Amino acid sequence: MAKHKTPLLDQLESGPWPSFVSDIKQEAASRAKNEKGLDYQIAVDCPDDLLGVLELSYSDGETHWKHGGIVGIFGYGGGVIGRYCDQPEMFPGVAHFHTMRVAQPMGMWYNTGFLRNLMDIWDLRGSGLTNMHGATGDIILLGTSTPQLEEIYWEMTHGMDVDLGGSGSNLRTPASCMGMSRCEYACYDTQELCYNLTMEYQDELHRPAFPYKFKFKFDGCPNGCVAAIARSDLGFLGTFKGPIKIDQEVVAAYVGGEIAPNAGAHSGRDWGKFDIQSEVVDNCPSKCLSYEDGKLIMDHKECVRCMHCINTMPQALKIGDERGVSIFCGAKAPILDGPQMGSLLIPFMEVNKDDDYQSIKDLIENIWDWWMEEGKNRERIGETMKRLGFAALANAAGVEADPRHVQEPRHNPYIFWKAEEVEGGWERDIADFRKRHQR
Amino acid sequence: MAFISSGYNPDKPMENRISDIGPRHFSEYLPPVIKKNFGKWDYHEILEPGVLCHTAESGDKVYTVRCATARLMSITHLREICDIADKYCGGHLRFTTRNNVEFIVDDKQVALDLKTFLNDQKFEGGSFKFPVGGTGAGVTNIVHTQGWVHCHTPATDASGTVKATMDVVFDDFTDMKLPAPVRISMACCLNMCGAVHCSDIAILGIHRKPPLIDHEYLDNLCEIPLAIAACPTGAIRPSKIELDGETYKTVAIKEERCMFCGNCYTMCPSLPLADTEGDGIALMVGGKISNRITKPAFSKVVVPFIPNEPPRWPTMTKVLKKILDTYAEDANKYERLGDWANRIGWERFFEKCELEFSSHLIDDFRDPAYYTWRQTTQFKW
Amino acid sequence: MALEPEAAKKVILDFFEAKSKSKSKFYFNDFTKLFPEEKARAVKKILTMLIQEGTLEFWSSGSTTMYGLSGAGKQAASEGED
Repeated sequence: MAKHKTPLLDQLESGPWPSFVSDIKQEAASRAKNEKGLDYQIAVDCPDDLLGVLELSYSDGETHWKHGGIVGIFGYGGGVIGRYCDQPEMFPGVAHFHTMRVAQPMGMWYNTGFLRNLMDIWDLRGSGLTNMHGATGDIILLGTSTPQLEEIYWEMTHGMDVDLGGSGSNLRTPASCMGMSRCEYACYDTQELCYNLTMEYQDELHRPAFPYKFKFKFDGCPNGCVAAIARSDLGFLGTFKGPIKIDQEVVAAYVGGEIAPNAGAHSGRDWGKFDIQSEVVDNCPSKCLSYEDGKLIMDHKECVRCMHCINTMPQALKIGDERGVSIFCGAKAPILDGPQMGSLLIPFMEVNKDDDYQSIKDLIENIWDWWMEEGKNRERIGETMKRLGFAALANAAGVEADPRHVQEPRHNPYIFWKAEEVEGGWERDIADFRKRHQR
Repeated sequence: MAFISSGYNPDKPMENRISDIGPRHFSEYLPPVIKKNFGKWDYHEILEPGVLCHTAESGDKVYTVRCATARLMSITHLREICDIADKYCGGHLRFTTRNNVEFIVDDKQVALDLKTFLNDQKFEGGSFKFPVGGTGAGVTNIVHTQGWVHCHTPATDASGTVKATMDVVFDDFTDMKLPAPVRISMACCLNMCGAVHCSDIAILGIHRKPPLIDHEYLDNLCEIPLAIAACPTGAIRPSKIELDGETYKTVAIKEERCMFCGNCYTMCPSLPLADTEGDGIALMVGGKISNRITKPAFSKVVVPFIPNEPPRWPTMTKVLKKILDTYAEDANKYERLGDWANRIGWERFFEKCELEFSSHLIDDFRDPAYYTWRQTTQFKW
Repeated sequence: MALEPEAAKKVILDFFEAKSKSKSKFYFNDFTKLFPEEKARAVKKILTMLIQEGTLEFWSSGSTTMYGLSGAGKQAASEGED
């Protein structure tokens, strides 16, 4: 018998989409049964109480959680989010119900041994409820009590060789796409770069010293599966300089209908015969393609690498050589001044594992030094850039101005010239001026 | 319950402490065929909804079966996923950035059998445990936030609105009949820890009432300077109030300046803002992240407010379905939702989707607003 | 110029003492201002020492983080965590 009546939530058990209500009930039943005979370290019935407090929100339309300032474990300034229920007498099992963020392996590949070990810890010491994964990429363990935090951390670090993720004003858990592990578009090894930088900057991740949060994301190509351009303060998107490689015979096979376009992504509807002119050539944003005499011709110098032709004919077209990353700075969600995309800071940089990615690290540290010096409290770097100007960031990062930095040049002539930029400087003699002009 | 120590000594927290070890290295978890062909993949095909085939330069092929999860999942459920991975995939599995699970096998028939098996697994309440899909030109899984399950400033629930929405658009998860992928995202307040600002369709919880002030307790529970500093619009100032002859130190709020973000409540539990009538949902559309054909774009607010209607939010799902269906009907192949709306014009978008336009939809927040107003004679009747 | 740890710690703790009437938690930036000649990284090392000694503790809103004297402030008591 369920501990609380949940007539509203029960209505979310029907319908095809996986029901989180059914799943929480399943966990509640499993804990009540306790087949393994565990000495549960937090309330056995916390999943029941979570359903109870959620049902209360469904009936009164208001949240029943309070934020707590607790950040987690000794010495770390992030990785735990404190949560307290505002009806602890009604729902004692979730009175203290903190979240832990656990560092995920890059690309979110797992073996079952790792997951089972983590689940065993969370069975004994937590609610048995998780998010796979949180919005930034961490594994989220949802709900435990304060005394368990150190115990869980101890078992994770000593038994599983894995650490907490980030929260607060620190480097947040970096995330990458699956990259080279299973994608032909990957222009660099996103997972290795992400891992390397995560390890290099553990101190920045665990001990907050930034004005606000800072996120890295690593996309292997301009398709942007982990949203680096929209969701990271410093976003790394794979790119290339060499021409897209075209196999004309395979293009002919697409045109002839032997291969489904777009890797079969449109197969649920009859869109008619594949038309390379309207579907590929006409959609090219820089109009660098033409289809003549059965051949796809590309003026590759004019290509902007939008990926559309490659995505549409992945067996015929391959990414070019001379691969590296474009680096974008300052993306964020709307709070406060409105949403920001990352702005292109580095059009191209090599991703060189042989020197331990030194040029990327130099860039990162220059940017951080500038932001830590100039950034106001609770100001994302995108906002610091807006306040002080793109040139201030580029200067701090040691980047030369490049027409690729702008969509179009400035609309106003209010250029803040510096004295040293103007012939003769700003030091002038009024007496000399008066020789030429009367008062 | 007897406290079981892990070995941690609270009196000497630094003793034998391990820290700063980061995540495990991903190479430990790659299936052998993935490891063997790392960086040497040639092309991929979507064989049918939810089933991918990747071919390597070596000629090796791997088959991926993708299925949804609710993101909020129990360890019982996750152990069941592990059982499937042990049985079919040599103990390997992967999650996608949009909360799907991928099972990797090296035989096509095994992949198709696995799809059938996954689609046969149901929760006791009747819903699919592992519906297969989420590929190509369809609606894939929704990325979302915590909502009423675990957050202190949500204006709505996340898991519930997602469940209600995906039930309504389920056909588009298991099929690929849309003009282009449609990415739906959900954030339960405007702080957007789920960063939904570049989604084809964004479901966003919003508050519409300034916080209450618990004058009597505020000074006991909060540090007033911190509450003041937390307000992004500078709407809070220190104040004093007299209640039943007693003077309390408290704060005053310039209500017309409040943007309903809840940041003050985070710093000060005496400033709650949840409200049954005040809270609800805004819908935003037309954002994208990919650089394909057109540039990445922000989502635009097209419905300023829909009341919360738990447990299934019928008004919200109806409006959302109407937008999706109109797009599916009207857009060109490869055209993302925002590109379609840009082509037909937003005035036409409102007409076709039968949405009401109101002054709330004209941006009035600081500098960026100007760039959204119309400065041309080109518009449609 | 390298920071002398004990002297630097005292500067930080004196700052907490001076401000204790109004605030118990401060942003990282507030401490770098105490040492205008020093790099932020050097100041962070001192703060980390104070954290590891248990003198200071972190406080987080989830999105931002502050430093406070261990156990000080009003919220800890209200959460029953003191």
